[in-house]
Amino acid sequence: MTVFKTFLKVLNKNKFIVILYSVILLFFGVSNMQTQEENTNFISSKPDVLLVVSDELEGITKHFVDYMEKHTNRKEIEESVRDDALFYRDVNYIIFINDHFREDFLSGEQPNIEVKSTGDYQASLAELLVNNYLKVASVYQKMGFTEEEIMQNIDKTLEKQVVMEVTSPLDTDQLEKVAFYYNFLSYSMLAGCVYIICLMLVSFQNEKIRKRTIISSMSDRKYNRILLLSNGLFALLLWLCYVVLSFILLGEGMFSRQGFLMLINSFLFTICCLTLAFLLGTLIRSKNTINGIVNVVALGSSFLCGAFVPMEWLPNFVLKIAHLLPSYWYIKTNELLKTMEIINIESLKPIFYPMGILCFFSVFFVILTNYISSKRRNIG
Amino acid sequence: MNKIIEVANLTKKYKGKTAVDALSFSVFEGEILGLLGPNGSGKSTTINCILSLLSIDEGKITIFGQEMKPSAYEIKKEIGVVFQDVAVFDELTVIDNIRYFCGLYIKDKKVREVYIEEAIQLVGLEEFKKYYPKQLSGGLLRRLNIACGISHKPKLIFFDEPTVAVDPQSRNNILDGMKTLNKNGATIIYTTHYMEEVEFLCHRVIILDKGKIIESGTIDELKSLSNIEEKISVEVNNLKKSIISDIAKWEQVESVDYENGILIVTYQKGKNNLAGLIHYFKENRIEYNKIFSERPTLNDVFLELTGKGLRD
Repeated sequence: MTVFKTFLKVLNKNKFIVILYSVILLFFGVSNMQTQEENTNFISSKPDVLLVVSDELEGITKHFVDYMEKHTNRKEIEESVRDDALFYRDVNYIIFINDHFREDFLSGEQPNIEVKSTGDYQASLAELLVNNYLKVASVYQKMGFTEEEIMQNIDKTLEKQVVMEVTSPLDTDQLEKVAFYYNFLSYSMLAGCVYIICLMLVSFQNEKIRKRTIISSMSDRKYNRILLLSNGLFALLLWLCYVVLSFILLGEGMFSRQGFLMLINSFLFTICCLTLAFLLGTLIRSKNTINGIVNVVALGSSFLCGAFVPMEWLPNFVLKIAHLLPSYWYIKTNELLKTMEIINIESLKPIFYPMGILCFFSVFFVILTNYISSKRRNIG
Repeated sequence: MNKIIEVANLTKKYKGKTAVDALSFSVFEGEILGLLGPNGSGKSTTINCILSLLSIDEGKITIFGQEMKPSAYEIKKEIGVVFQDVAVFDELTVIDNIRYFCGLYIKDKKVREVYIEEAIQLVGLEEFKKYYPKQLSGGLLRRLNIACGISHKPKLIFFDEPTVAVDPQSRNNILDGMKTLNKNGATIIYTTHYMEEVEFLCHRVIILDKGKIIESGTIDELKSLSNIEEKISVEVNNLKKSIISDIAKWEQVESVDYENGILIVTYQKGKNNLAGLIHYFKENRIEYNKIFSERPTLNDVFLELTGKGLRD
C-alpha cells in the first residue's frame, strides 16, 4: 500500500493538469452540442435563376414565369454581366423565353427555350423544374385542353407534394455529437495518460529513488507490479470519468448500439494510450521533457488524425502519415460507426480491422517497452 | 565481536578492467568503519557489490551470517543506506518522504509512525515536517536524505559521503546523529573525503587504492605507520633558500616545504625539535609570527600511503 498511497499523493499534486485536459474535453463537448442543435438532415434549397422573357407576359408564358419564380430565387442581372454572373455563381441558371413561346406551345410545337447553366447541382435542380413543367404542360396540351384548363391542371399536378418518411432508426444528429465527443476524447485521454504516467515513471523510476528501492526489503517484482497496476487503475478511472461525462452530455445518443461500440472502442484506445505512455515513460529521464512530449504526441496525433478537424477535410498525404498513429484507427472506427445503420456481425466487419490495429499497437508498445527496459537493466 | 559483514576475495571487473581486486575484510558489530580512498579507488564499487546493486565476478559476501544476493530480503530489512545524492520525491513533504521509504520496510503503521518521528528528531527536522524538498536548504535536504535511509532502524547502515557541501551546523547535526545511531547499536560503514570526520567518528579505517586494501586498522595504528613523528609550522616572511636547504640537511628532518610564507618542517623522530628550530631562528636573526607543533594527521598518513590526496 505504501507505493500505491505515494502514487496517489504524487497524482494529487499533479491533479490540475488532468482536470485541465478534462475541462478542455467538457468545453468542446458542450460547445459542439450547442453549435449542432440547429442542424437538420435535409435542407430545402432554391437555385438562383435569371429569367429573360422576350414574349408577352400573359397566358401560359406568365404561368411558367410565375411557377419558376415560386420555386427559384429569381435574379435581375444586366445583360452585359450575365456571363460573369454565371461564372461567379451569382446565378445558377439563365432561361431565355423567346417571343413565340406562347404561340408555339398553343399550336402544339415544341416551345423555344434557351438556357445557360453553371452545371452544378443547383443548375440541375433548375433544369429539372423547367423540364417537369414543360413535360406536364405538353401532355395537357396534347390532350386538347384549353390554355386556362392546361394552367389549372399543371398547378394540380406539379403542386402535389410527396410526403417522404425516413424509416431509418439512425439518429445522425445524435451520433454526430457522440462521434465528435469520442473523437475529441482521443486528445484528452492521450494527453492525460502520457502526462501522468510519464510523470509517475520518471518519479518512481528515478535512478536514485530506484536504487533505494532495490536495496529495500520490498521485492523488485512486487514494486513494478504495484506501479503497473496503479498506472492502469489511473487510466481506467480516467476512461470511466470520460464515459460518465459522455452519458451526461450526450444522453440518449449513448444508449444506441453505435454509442456502445464507440465506448468499447474508447476502452481499446485507453489501453493503447496506457502502453504508449509506459513506452514514453521508459524513454524519458527528466520531468522537464514531459510537457514537450505531451504536446508532440497528443496534440500532433490529434491534429493529424482528425480529432479536431474532420478526416474528410485533411489532405491525403496527412492521412497517409496518420496511418502510423493509433489515434487514426480509433477515430476511423468512430467515423464508421456513426454512419452504420444496421449493426450485426456482417456490418461490423469493417470496424474489426481498425480495432484490431489498435490492439496490435498496444502489443507492439508493450514488447518495445520490455525490450528497452531489459536493455537498460543489462547496461546497469 | 560478531562479524556483521564478511567480504572474501571480492573481485569486480568493468569491461576487462579490475575495479575491485580480491578484496577481503570484515566489519564487526557495533563499530564505525571508515572506508577511505582517492576517487576511483573502488570504494563505491565495493559498497554497491556488498548491497547487491552490482553483480560480482568472484568472491563471497556474507551479511549477518547469510550470503548476500539481490533476493536476500531478510538481510535487506536490516540494512539502511544513505547515498551521497539526495534521493527523495519532489512531490512529497518531508514526513511523507520518510513515510514512503520507511513503509518499504515496516508494515505495521503504528510502529512505522513511531519510527518516523524518531528519525525526524534524530536529524532535527521537527520544524520542517510539512515542507517540500524544494523549500529546504542543502543541509536540511541532506538531513532528510539521512532520515529516509535510517528511519526503519537498520542494524547496519552505509553512509556514502553524507556531509559533502553541507553547512557546519548540519554537518555537526549529521555527525552527532551518526554517533547516536552507533550508540543505539547500529554498525556503520562510512565513506568520506573529510579526514577530521574519520578521526572524530571511526573506530577502524580501511584505506583503498586501485581496488586493493593498502592498509587497515584503528586511527592510532595507522598513525603509527607514518614516518613522521612531528610537524612544525612557522609563519615567516622572505625566507632565504639557503636557510631552507640548511634545515633540510638536519639529521631528523624528513622534509621541508616553504609556500605562501609558511614553513613546514616534518621530523621522523626526536625530542625538542621545536626548541631546536626556535634556537636556530634566533641565532640567524630570523623574525617569525606564529610557530606551532603537531602530531601527524590521518591525512599525512593517507598521503604517505597513497601518494595523493583524497580529492586527486
